[in-house]
Amino acid sequence: MATVEVRQLSKTFRSVRAVDDLSFSAPPGKVTGFLGPNGSGKTTTLRMVLGLVRPTGGDSLIDGKRYVDLPSPRRVVGAMLDASGFNLGRTGRDHLRVLATSAGIDRGRIDEILDEVDLTTAADRRVRGYSLGMKQRLGLAAALLGDPEILILDEPANGLDPAGMAWLRALLRDQAASGRTVIVSSHVLSEVGQTADHVVIVSGGRLRFDGSLAELDSEDGSLEAGFLRLTAAEVAA
Amino acid sequence: MIAALRTEFMKLRTVRGPWLLLAAGLLIVVAGISGLVISGGNLKSPATQSAAVAHLGIAAIVSLVFGILAVAGEYRSRTISDTFLSSPRRGRIVAAKLIVYAAIGAVVGVVGAALAVATASIWWGAKGADFDLGNADMWHTIIGGIVANALYAAIGVGLGALLRTLTAAIIVAVGWIAVVEGIVGQLIGTDLAKWLPFTAGRALALAAGGGDTGLLSRGAGGIVVAAYAAVFAAVAVFSTLKRDVT
Repeated sequence: MATVEVRQLSKTFRSVRAVDDLSFSAPPGKVTGFLGPNGSGKTTTLRMVLGLVRPTGGDSLIDGKRYVDLPSPRRVVGAMLDASGFNLGRTGRDHLRVLATSAGIDRGRIDEILDEVDLTTAADRRVRGYSLGMKQRLGLAAALLGDPEILILDEPANGLDPAGMAWLRALLRDQAASGRTVIVSSHVLSEVGQTADHVVIVSGGRLRFDGSLAELDSEDGSLEAGFLRLTAAEVAA
Repeated sequence: MIAALRTEFMKLRTVRGPWLLLAAGLLIVVAGISGLVISGGNLKSPATQSAAVAHLGIAAIVSLVFGILAVAGEYRSRTISDTFLSSPRRGRIVAAKLIVYAAIGAVVGVVGAALAVATASIWWGAKGADFDLGNADMWHTIIGGIVANALYAAIGVGLGALLRTLTAAIIVAVGWIAVVEGIVGQLIGTDLAKWLPFTAGRALALAAGGGDTGLLSRGAGGIVVAAYAAVFAAVAVFSTLKRDVT
């Protein structure tokens, strides 16, 4: 089972310090909630973990290896970064076929995963006609396609209706229960509060909290209060 | 690498836009030849046959835009992240795109050549003129046109990878061809201007002896355009390797 380790990661875009000496790790068998306000460096961090953005300093290891050194990365890590990352003229099924071909994943897996995210009936329609929730589910299908040990989801709850949210929570819990490593980012604490075992809070690119939900809860009386105090520290500093 | 090539081809096969674009290029060939005949081209002159099939070279401008879609189109649809997640070896992806897009450019050239010859021979027949299939200069023009379609597609891939913004890349490409190269050519003089990418492309794909002086020979034009394609291919790979995909 695979741990994701972030070690003293930093990223400076021109003069903006987006991520600043950030270290944490996400263990297998748990849902790690990666929380912070908008613009706190969550997406940049996840993109560095996935080899899309080059760190200014530090590194990030998956099972002891950098993402770019993984021999078949989609079988190890499934990522959903952008719910609008589709060619709108392509059907949902073809989107997955392209990914399966690029990652050497068996085509048979596509029907299975379409069924799992409840997109079977819409699979042969072009993504242009999908609702935001359907795009999110297609993105999740893409992440799950390689049956990866690690799931990294950037704001997966955006655009989901309450039923979709409940479904997503159950999915994340299932994945963690089967021993997988799940990292899920959000700027809305309540989305993650009911699902995460382990919480990492960032603000202004820096680590503000790394621990269990219970610790965060007991310090401030409520998750919300803890979250606000930790992210407000940035403003005060 | 085989998987990367298959993936790039499948990406194209599963969307319509690029094929409509290429079809428009072929339409230009047919319409251009028809226009030449209707506007009173001298069908008795062998040079007119070459001038007719030289419209294949104009379709190469469409192949250039087609090539731009390869990388810049993925930045636009934001599928580029998924592409690099599947295969973090970015150089291999860009190489696969260069091969697939240039190959399709060549195929479009061949299809366009067949269309050009068919269209021209029908028009010639309709006007009661002999269409000479043994016209060597016509075939040289056709070969030049096919090569131009392949090479300009590769140049487009490179330009799109360098600029990444689809609209910007198309404006730069079309603006260069329509305006900038002409001005630059006047500034540096004919001796140097013939080495510019579009002027060299005209030497490659236009009919010889079409009254165009100050051009390289067809073969030299082909080599110069191939050199530009190689430079743009290298730029495509190296500009992609280390860039942040945000």
